[in-house]
Amino acid sequence: MTPLIKFIDFNFSYLDSPTPILKNINLEIKEGEFVLLVGPSGCGKSTLLRCINGLIPHLYSGVYKGKVIVDGEQVSEKNISTLATKVGFVFQNPENQIFMFTVEKDIVFGLENIGVDKEEIGRRLEWALKILNIEHLRYRAPYELSDGQKQRVAIAGTLVMHPKILILDEPTSLLDPKTAYEFISTLKELNRSIGITIIVVEHRIDLLPKVADRMIVMDGGQIVFDGPFKDIIKEKNLHLYGVTVPPIISLQNTLSESGVNLPGYSLDVRSFSEMIKKEVFRND
Amino acid sequence: MFWIAEGLIYRRQDSVFHTIDPRIKLLISMMLFFLSLVSSTIVEFSIILVLIFFIGALSKTLKRMVRTFVFSLSFLAMIFVINILVGYDIMFSIIISLRFISVVSSTSIFFLTSSPDELELVMKSFYLPYDLIFAFVTAVRFVPVIMLDAIQILDSQRSRGLEIEKGNFIKRIKNYIPVLIPLIVQAIIRSEELAEAMESRAYGFSKKKTSYYSLHLRKRDYFAATVAICFMIVFIYAIYFLHI
Repeated sequence: MTPLIKFIDFNFSYLDSPTPILKNINLEIKEGEFVLLVGPSGCGKSTLLRCINGLIPHLYSGVYKGKVIVDGEQVSEKNISTLATKVGFVFQNPENQIFMFTVEKDIVFGLENIGVDKEEIGRRLEWALKILNIEHLRYRAPYELSDGQKQRVAIAGTLVMHPKILILDEPTSLLDPKTAYEFISTLKELNRSIGITIIVVEHRIDLLPKVADRMIVMDGGQIVFDGPFKDIIKEKNLHLYGVTVPPIISLQNTLSESGVNLPGYSLDVRSFSEMIKKEVFRND
Repeated sequence: MFWIAEGLIYRRQDSVFHTIDPRIKLLISMMLFFLSLVSSTIVEFSIILVLIFFIGALSKTLKRMVRTFVFSLSFLAMIFVINILVGYDIMFSIIISLRFISVVSSTSIFFLTSSPDELELVMKSFYLPYDLIFAFVTAVRFVPVIMLDAIQILDSQRSRGLEIEKGNFIKRIKNYIPVLIPLIVQAIIRSEELAEAMESRAYGFSKKKTSYYSLHLRKRDYFAATVAICFMIVFIYAIYFLHI
């Protein structure tokens, strides 16, 4: 299967920076994957994402070496607007990506820009409102929305473009834990139902164990770990890369270090307690 | 200057006048504005002001319109006094003052009853460049956001001991510098993020940009336009030929 996103020997440094922000990146992401991208601040996560939707090199110039290929096309040879139909980008602060006076008008903004006809705009609008469960917000003004609602509106505005890839840069940083959990569940639902490839930068890893398929850890502009989420999360040195490992994972790591042989590995409290229960009853 | 702003800010309201096509509301507003400029007697201004207040009542904005009117009385008095001081007679000074109030009120009719959304559609229907329309839309859209930023910065600077209201006039203006600088920096950062988000949603992608929304004139709009134009013709005829 041809990868949807491919970085080949990629290096990038901003014009005003003497050191490269991304070094020797070789990465392939397949269609339909849910990828979690983590790493300490300034490690190059946001820069990597901006290379996928073309903001780099088209909006931010710098020293650009290597290739980034998205859906078979080289990013440096396509303009950002063309890439917008392939890559949807949801930024950290949703306030700054809602331009219009009402939710409905904002959602259709991108479709009007690419010249979609009125009937099709109407169809896609209804679909996006329904899939993100924001039909009741349709005629609201941005200032009447909560941060969680704004995030959903921002996603709706990118999803209507029918992109193959949805990128989210720290989408839950402004949300309370409950809203953040609901939001991540919505993302997984989108990933399952429409098969969209999702790449999310997130510091709150405890939200993602049951959601992400793959985890990429970056540090100093390089990829230090890359693999299935359940394997990477077991790595002992993750805290060195600014990753806060969920307590349930730390507990299992500590138990296995102290010689306790667990029958398996659980990513959440419920399955861990069931595993322990089975083990206890078995010993009885 | 807040009294002027109060008379120009749109608030959602359910009235017959609000449902009229914004282009017709603009026409009515412009027509009254024009008539305020050509009128020159107290009778003529009285007719215009009665009509403006009638529209205010119809659109349920009369209260705010009157408040604007009351607040502007001091400004009116100033215009009146300056005219007297520079040597004009009392009647001329009254006329100039009335003209001022008619011009302000007629302009406010449109802004009080048309949402920024409608204003955007009016601009589109006049085939103005989209970059210009978009600049207007984002400017209006971000007013509440920037205001919240300003309040937050003001509170945080006050919590660090900044006394805004202290000192003479010049000192008070200087007191605002620690608020303005972070506010401008924040606005610049916001505009960068806005530019990224615009590019990411295909702004400027196609020259054949489509529009999901368009304005359509209905019977009531034609009726309102006909009444407005007939009134203007009769009024001008009365001024120049009947000398009311």
